Amino acid sequence: MLIPALLAASPAPPSAPTPETSALIARLARPAPSDTAFTEVRFVSVLKQPLLLQGELHYGGDGELGKRVDRPYRETTTISAGKVAVQRAGKPAQHFSLERAPELQALLAAFSALLGGDAATLARYYAIETVQDGAHFRLTLTPRGEDLARHLRTVVVDGNGNEPQCFSLQQADGDSSIMLLGALAAKVPTEAPTRAALAELCRTGTP
Amino acid sequence: MTSPRRVAVAVAWLGALILVALVVQRRLVVVNDLRSFMPPAQTTAQKLLLDQIGDGPASRLLLLAISGAAPERLAALSRELAASLHGDARFTQVLDGQTDLSALDPKLLPYRYLLAPTLDHAAFDAPYLHEQLQQRVADLGSPGAELLKPLLASDPTLETLALAQRWTPAHTPQLRDGVWFSPGGAALLLVQTQAAGFDPAAQRIAIDALEAAYAGLPGASGARLEISGPGYFSVLVSARTRSEAEWLSAFGTIGFALLLVLAYRSAGVLGLVALPIASGAVAGLAATALVFHSVHGITLAFGFTLLGVAQEYPIRVFSHRRAGATVHDSLAAVWPLLRLAIVSACIAYLAFYASGVTGLQQLAWFTIVGLLVAGAATRWLLPLAMPAQFVDVAASAWLERARAALNALPRPRWLPWAALVLALALLWIAPPPFWQNDLAALTPVPPALLQREGELRGALGAPDIRYLLVLDAADDEQVLALSEHIDPQVDKWKEAGIVDDVELPSRYLPSLATQRARQAKLPDRAALETALAAAQDDLPFQPGLFAPFIDDVEKARALPPLTPQAFAASALGSRLQAMLTQRDGRSVALATLSGVHDADRLGAAVAALAESGAGVSLLDLKAASESLVASYRERIGQALVVALLLLAAAVAIAFRDVRRAWHVIAPMSLATLLALAVLRASGVSLSLFHLVALTLAAGLGLHYALFFERRTDDAAEERRTLHATLVCVGSALLVFGLLATSSTPVLRAIGLTVALGVGFHFCLSTQMARRRPDDEGHDVEEKDVQGI
Repeated sequence: MLIPALLAASPAPPSAPTPETSALIARLARPAPSDTAFTEVRFVSVLKQPLLLQGELHYGGDGELGKRVDRPYRETTTISAGKVAVQRAGKPAQHFSLERAPELQALLAAFSALLGGDAATLARYYAIETVQDGAHFRLTLTPRGEDLARHLRTVVVDGNGNEPQCFSLQQADGDSSIMLLGALAAKVPTEAPTRAALAELCRTGTP
Repeated sequence: MTSPRRVAVAVAWLGALILVALVVQRRLVVVNDLRSFMPPAQTTAQKLLLDQIGDGPASRLLLLAISGAAPERLAALSRELAASLHGDARFTQVLDGQTDLSALDPKLLPYRYLLAPTLDHAAFDAPYLHEQLQQRVADLGSPGAELLKPLLASDPTLETLALAQRWTPAHTPQLRDGVWFSPGGAALLLVQTQAAGFDPAAQRIAIDALEAAYAGLPGASGARLEISGPGYFSVLVSARTRSEAEWLSAFGTIGFALLLVLAYRSAGVLGLVALPIASGAVAGLAATALVFHSVHGITLAFGFTLLGVAQEYPIRVFSHRRAGATVHDSLAAVWPLLRLAIVSACIAYLAFYASGVTGLQQLAWFTIVGLLVAGAATRWLLPLAMPAQFVDVAASAWLERARAALNALPRPRWLPWAALVLALALLWIAPPPFWQNDLAALTPVPPALLQREGELRGALGAPDIRYLLVLDAADDEQVLALSEHIDPQVDKWKEAGIVDDVELPSRYLPSLATQRARQAKLPDRAALETALAAAQDDLPFQPGLFAPFIDDVEKARALPPLTPQAFAASALGSRLQAMLTQRDGRSVALATLSGVHDADRLGAAVAALAESGAGVSLLDLKAASESLVASYRERIGQALVVALLLLAAAVAIAFRDVRRAWHVIAPMSLATLLALAVLRASGVSLSLFHLVALTLAAGLGLHYALFFERRTDDAAEERRTLHATLVCVGSALLVFGLLATSSTPVLRAIGLTVALGVGFHFCLSTQMARRRPDDEGHDVEEKDVQGI
């Protein structure tokens, strides 16, 4: 539901990804539904120290995404059909529509395109650069749309074989975040992780 | 006079008419403001209604949909159209989703603490701030972090978001590429016209400008612009009605011309026959322009209809020309009767003048001046231009046969009484309702268009055009306080599904009292700094991050509370300003409603609130305008009864004979009643238009009866009378019979009513007004009617 709507809304001219890139992205498709543990570290300038979140990601297929944070607080975010619902412990659920946040909409659309193995959609939003080094691969995504580029500089996806393991977002304002999935999620040091250490973990699979 | 001189007179006459018409056209202001057409408003609600009929913001909205191309094309067209309409004085508001109305004007940012309801139930102390800041940490870890970051330092409690949420309408269309889209994939725009919704002429100008602006956009032809809304319908319907009326009248005019040529065997008659009535119309317009500042379009339309009686004057003159007599001699024989008809009709219309309704006074003034001038022109100008060559119609053999046949008809004395009983019986059994008060039903909008309008209105979340919630209090402050007072009730209505949204004024601006109460709860700088330090003690925020927040709270503590006047400079403030009006020294707010699902329950809920002392009421524009139409119609009805009495008195005084007056008035009244009864029995509910049409028919009927009643022992003169009457009846039946075939209810109403009336008037006049062969002792001299 969300993807066709966003496909239609994308202002950027479609640009076909290379066959290698398409093949790689197609391999990355996750079965739906699937759940993966994650650890996310956010480096935000307004905070004195990085924000470290742990929980589980849910992919329901067809643009349906879920993110459950277990630590340091409990929060469940579900995104479906352009609507976002955020549920926090002891609070009434909050709902808002992605319509008013086009940059977030584009980011999430790209994310679910990646999970769906849909290279064509991904290429609508991003210029894609692929580096393959043995089993390790790295996709570097640079936003095409102005709305998105105003906030987001790049998205880097690291992985092994046909499994994406790290999503690294570099924001335009200097903030960044790295999300590690599956086995790597457990390897993140919980005390003062640095950007360099996490990048290394994503690249080599070991800290 | 020689023939060239006659032609010169006719040409000079026509030239003078055109000249006067041009001058009048420049002076006369024709408005389509329904208010002048309504009786004076008595109550505050009625006055409000008169302001709101067609002039309300909801009825000035045009709903636009652009479809038929790729979404990005449609979005671009939408943006370009909005840009080209911005700054056009004909449009007061152009919305396509690009401007976020729910955003607080940056100049008013420190006011957020007075405008948002947060401080009603919270205080900026350490526990509250700690809880809020904890949430902000979680927000920074959420997918929405990018939206939050710019706000965080100055607004950590997210008052601007609370306001945005409060100010966002319940239903807004989805956005694509920054503009509104319907679920069906069309780009949507909402345009408010400067012109009132009921004013088809001004709406036409606005819509033409809109269409021209669209056509001027690059690539516009690749997509389709669809316009909907009350203003568009008024243009569409009036254009459709006009075009149908025009071609039906064109046929009618051709038929009338053929009839005249056939009747008088002269083409010269054709041009002359129109001059008296045209003179009457121009004079009526000039007199109206002179006396009244402006005149309503409907009043003029009614006036022209009623003036149709004057068409008979020249026909009477032409038919009664006698072989061997001068024009003046033959005219002298019929003029007293014609003069009686004209003067008594004018006296009757004085009743309209006394009604006190501006529209009716204008109608009376126009018609009286028009009839007098048409009559005078027939008497003194027409003879100068009449051709010397003519055929005395009394010589026609067929006319003598017709006269003999008419005389041979049985004329049972019980017939009128039977007709009266029949008419009353028909009126008794006729299906209700007697009156049609919904004028819109006479010029219906095609159902498919109405359905489409409903869809677009729903998709755009545009306000309902029928209902308004009226808040009435001593001043603006009290209105806002009242609005705050009923706000919780309104929320309950929304929860119960009675209505989707009510745009209360306090949604945008709290009362000064509420603002002061919130202001009093803002901590001073030292207290806030202490509370904030405690609140963020165990949280990872950078030290000093919230300095802008502390500054803004300090600013807010010193602000004078925001008044509607001060707020008016912003987009939402001007919207609020438009909701608040002054009435009789009181302040009245009109809250629009959208998605009214259950009008009955809403009415009951509002009534319950009003009973508990709140100055609120639900204004149903449709019901209220129908009640106004009903009261207007009632006044026309009363004026008509008085008019009939005046007419009877005038005729009786002129004849100095009640029995002869009865012979004229009785068939006219009975025929009117019969026409009314037949209309009702065939399921027609009567409207203003039927009443005016009946009045015209009665005016024509008066002529038939007067001339048939005329005493003369000259069979040739009787033939001339019959000839004139047949031409008059034939032409009326032809012109109005054609209108009766129209598909537009309003034209059909006028056409059918006049045609039916004319038929009955003719039949009953021949039965009741003409002298019976056995009716002796009432020989009359012409001087009997000279008295008036």
